[in-house]
Amino acid sequence: MIKDLNNICNQKVFEKLFNIHAKDLRRFLFFKTQDMDTAEDILQDAFIKLWDNCNNVNPEKAKSFLFTVAKNMFFNYKKHEKVVMNHQKRTLKSSNYETPEYLLVEKEFLVKIEEAIAALPDKQKEVFLLSRMEKKKYKEIAEILGISVKAVEKRMHLALLEMKEKIGNV
Amino acid sequence: MRENLTKEEESFLAKWLDGTISDATLKELVSEQDFIDYKKIKNGLELLNELNRPVAPSFNTLYNSIHKKRNFKNTQASFKWGLSIAASILVVLGCYFAFNFEEITHETSYAEQKTISLPDGSEVVLNAKSAINFTEKDWRNNRTILLKGEAFFKVKKGSTFSVQTPNGLVTVLGTQFNIKDTDTFFEVVCYEGKVSVTNNKKEHVLSPGNAIRKIDGKDSEKHDKENSLPSWLNGESSFVSVPLKYVILELEKQYNIQIDAHRIDDSIIFTGSFSNKDLKLALVSVFKTMDIQYIKEKNGVLSLE
Repeated sequence: MIKDLNNICNQKVFEKLFNIHAKDLRRFLFFKTQDMDTAEDILQDAFIKLWDNCNNVNPEKAKSFLFTVAKNMFFNYKKHEKVVMNHQKRTLKSSNYETPEYLLVEKEFLVKIEEAIAALPDKQKEVFLLSRMEKKKYKEIAEILGISVKAVEKRMHLALLEMKEKIGNV
Repeated sequence: MRENLTKEEESFLAKWLDGTISDATLKELVSEQDFIDYKKIKNGLELLNELNRPVAPSFNTLYNSIHKKRNFKNTQASFKWGLSIAASILVVLGCYFAFNFEEITHETSYAEQKTISLPDGSEVVLNAKSAINFTEKDWRNNRTILLKGEAFFKVKKGSTFSVQTPNGLVTVLGTQFNIKDTDTFFEVVCYEGKVSVTNNKKEHVLSPGNAIRKIDGKDSEKHDKENSLPSWLNGESSFVSVPLKYVILELEKQYNIQIDAHRIDDSIIFTGSFSNKDLKLALVSVFKTMDIQYIKEKNGVLSLE
């Protein structure tokens, strides 16, 4: 086993790099592809490429290596998608663009949501994060905080109202 | 069900988020535009969750595909990589725990300051009620610290030095800088060298004298500081255009006191400083100038009017 801590071929170094960069890279790729599965696929391929080149890449340069490789992979994926689309003679995409189901999710919008959550009054924020991020049921939240389920629901309601107000016209 | 859900019901949004009431029901309760907005926020929240989910399963997949490719650079390493899938997952878990066990934590309590030397000779000065956490192993190549609260850093030249806080990531090569990060208050000041601050996926580069801060979820703002060192290192807390509630929080941290501010508007802006060594003087310098009365209650709480 390679012991050199400055070499990506060292399994531990490789894993550490994954833990540091995977989330950011996945996020970056999601905003490009607008699709979680594709983002995950490219993420995997980019790290495989890093492993293949582990002797040639300095750990400090790993981040820019990963993002550059991922960007190129994304362009190739787009090119391929275009070819497929042309081949199908644009029979696709008849979905209604007016419905909220059709959403191009922009980074800025998610940032706005994050900021709106951060700006909530503490009591609402606490309930909101437990419910939306920790996926706790209202009943569980009520038990954790020692308040009634009604109170939890009220805070949730107010929190969403406030967030919409803050985010404005989405 | 639908008949019961009148507009007076003040929790229908909670029920909708929870899935207890349907999209169709919500559409009847709010305007069409509102419905679209709520739906977008709900989708956005789900997406945020997706984007924040742990990367460990993803690493296992990667591990297995590398294993299948048999693309090994080193015969000894290939022995490790060549183990069965079940064993490889164990190895991954093992590494994970090994890393975790070597974490070092330093914490300060109320009114306490602490200077910590890092393995490479860099220095961290922790202000009151703050904590850092780092892994000593492989420090020279991976200088990463987790910080909660406020600290001043003197970094020796070397590999990238990163400080991760709940509100952002700060990276440098060798320099002096100060970070303050409490729930909704995030400020980084650069005193020497260059500092890169990433928050909300935006990167800002600070030069000496530059500072960046973000309060209450508002946009980040850049400003300049003239001092050559953070004032708290000399026993003083100073503020420039900061909402009063953060000044009160700092008073509580520095003196381990409780302050009741519910009778005053704590969002008013304060510029000035207070001593961290003399409570009486500190209270005068903050509240007299703002024309706020303070009374010590029987239970020790300081209440403001």
